[in-house]
Amino acid sequence: MLRISNASVFFEGRQRKEIHALDRVSLDISEGDFVVALGASGCGKSTLLNAIAGFLPLTEGSITLNGRPVGGPGADRGVVFQKDTLLPWSTVIDNVALGLKFAGVSRKERHEKAAELLGLVGLADFARSFPHELSGGMRQRVGIARALATEPDILLMDEPFGALDSLTREQMQELLISVWHRTGKRIFFITHSIEEALFLGTKVIVMSPRPGRVVARYDLDFVRRFIETQDVRSIHLSPEFANLREEIRDILHSDHHLAGAAA
Amino acid sequence: MTVLELNTTAEKGTVASAKKTVRPIGFGLEGRSTTAISIATAIALIALWWLATELKLVPRLFLPSPAEVLRQFVTIFNDGYAGASLGEHVGASLFRIGLAAALAVLTGIPLGLLMGLNRWAKGVLDTPIEFYWPLPPLSYLPLMIIWLGIGETSKISLLFLAMFAPICLSAQAGVRSVSVERANAAKSLGAKPWQLFIHIVLPSALPEILTGVRIAIGVGWGTLVAAELIASTRGIGFLIMSAAQFLATDVVFVGIAIISLCAFGFSFTLRLLEKILVPWKGKS
Repeated sequence: MLRISNASVFFEGRQRKEIHALDRVSLDISEGDFVVALGASGCGKSTLLNAIAGFLPLTEGSITLNGRPVGGPGADRGVVFQKDTLLPWSTVIDNVALGLKFAGVSRKERHEKAAELLGLVGLADFARSFPHELSGGMRQRVGIARALATEPDILLMDEPFGALDSLTREQMQELLISVWHRTGKRIFFITHSIEEALFLGTKVIVMSPRPGRVVARYDLDFVRRFIETQDVRSIHLSPEFANLREEIRDILHSDHHLAGAAA
Repeated sequence: MTVLELNTTAEKGTVASAKKTVRPIGFGLEGRSTTAISIATAIALIALWWLATELKLVPRLFLPSPAEVLRQFVTIFNDGYAGASLGEHVGASLFRIGLAAALAVLTGIPLGLLMGLNRWAKGVLDTPIEFYWPLPPLSYLPLMIIWLGIGETSKISLLFLAMFAPICLSAQAGVRSVSVERANAAKSLGAKPWQLFIHIVLPSALPEILTGVRIAIGVGWGTLVAAELIASTRGIGFLIMSAAQFLATDVVFVGIAIISLCAFGFSFTLRLLEKILVPWKGKS
């Protein structure tokens, strides 16, 4: 169980002015959860992810993983970044095996594990390729396989599909659902796309800027429905989906206006 | 539908008969080779040189003909010059440059990396390096002689100082070029600090470091003649300076040609090294 309680973050901005990036956010991520944080830029969702990953200390509050407070970054929390962070000098399989190399796993063993994960993300044939030979979507799949290699307790994904075209993005969403379903990993996923959040999340937290905070929470089952039916269109076209989409859009927009007026 | 199909088959038919290809309009060279132009330019320059001497446009004392320079080269190659063979002259220069480069690489890279990673190292070392490196080596040449004498030490020290700064600065820039995301990604994969350094920082900095070494070697050749002004009896720089005193212009030309050949060789080797060590450069 990953437990975030009353997490607040203040940054030092320009002219020593404090920026209130995150305001008393509490969240539990249990076994099998697919939690999506949804919001416009500046709503603190990346701050929250960075705090969970250990890249950023909290000002107040706490984050514990299986009862232990999280310190710096570690292999128990796998991160998939929006920006491509693969090593250009390593082959795809060596990139996937990087975390295992850090852990001191033998070359043979880590390549076996990496090959298995490449199969999971559908890139078995590209093990010996270099990252620059792959498309953006394929590179993100390598990133997912790499983050899974060290068998983390949770996968943290920072707008991983934000830079992809919409067709690739849909394919990646389906791939991620199948990875989640087959590995049973908890996922904390960040996006600014309402439809992506609704489609993927079992829990969605809607966040709002200045200060970054959670303004609405939803428990959803569209993703489970997709796993049963494999039918994206009927989900996207269902009235529940459309209603929720409009509801969340209203929340995000009204908040945006308020924030605009205050600033 | 049928019309469309007809059109496509018609187009296929014409494609087979070698169409003129196009390239997108961009800026700069777009990777087109310039080798042919460069070779043509070299030939044209030598032809102009030959023509100028043939038509006696310039006195021979100022500009010897290509044939004379070649003859002088063969003479020096066979008989040596000023009491040493050509091999000894070239060897002396290569030894000085090589040793100074090795010392500069061995000290400049670790110090530069340290300056990129550590606030104190950066703060302390920045002052002397930023102070001395814009100075022309000729300006501190007298100090080298006063402090270190007229032997090999002062020559190699001068070359070392000239080559150290570009290497050290490039290693620093290399460390700065490591993106926060890449470092964070490695940390979240469980990298310990030394693993982060060996597997992420060092390879990320390598392209910049190699560029720095290439610049340093260039600076080194530039400083060589100055270094060999110090009471030398050997070296290509010495050969040029001593020939100049006797107005032996053809020998000066031979010396220049040898330096340029050596410098080209070094540069070529380093480019090759870049291809082998950092094949990913510019592709990520």
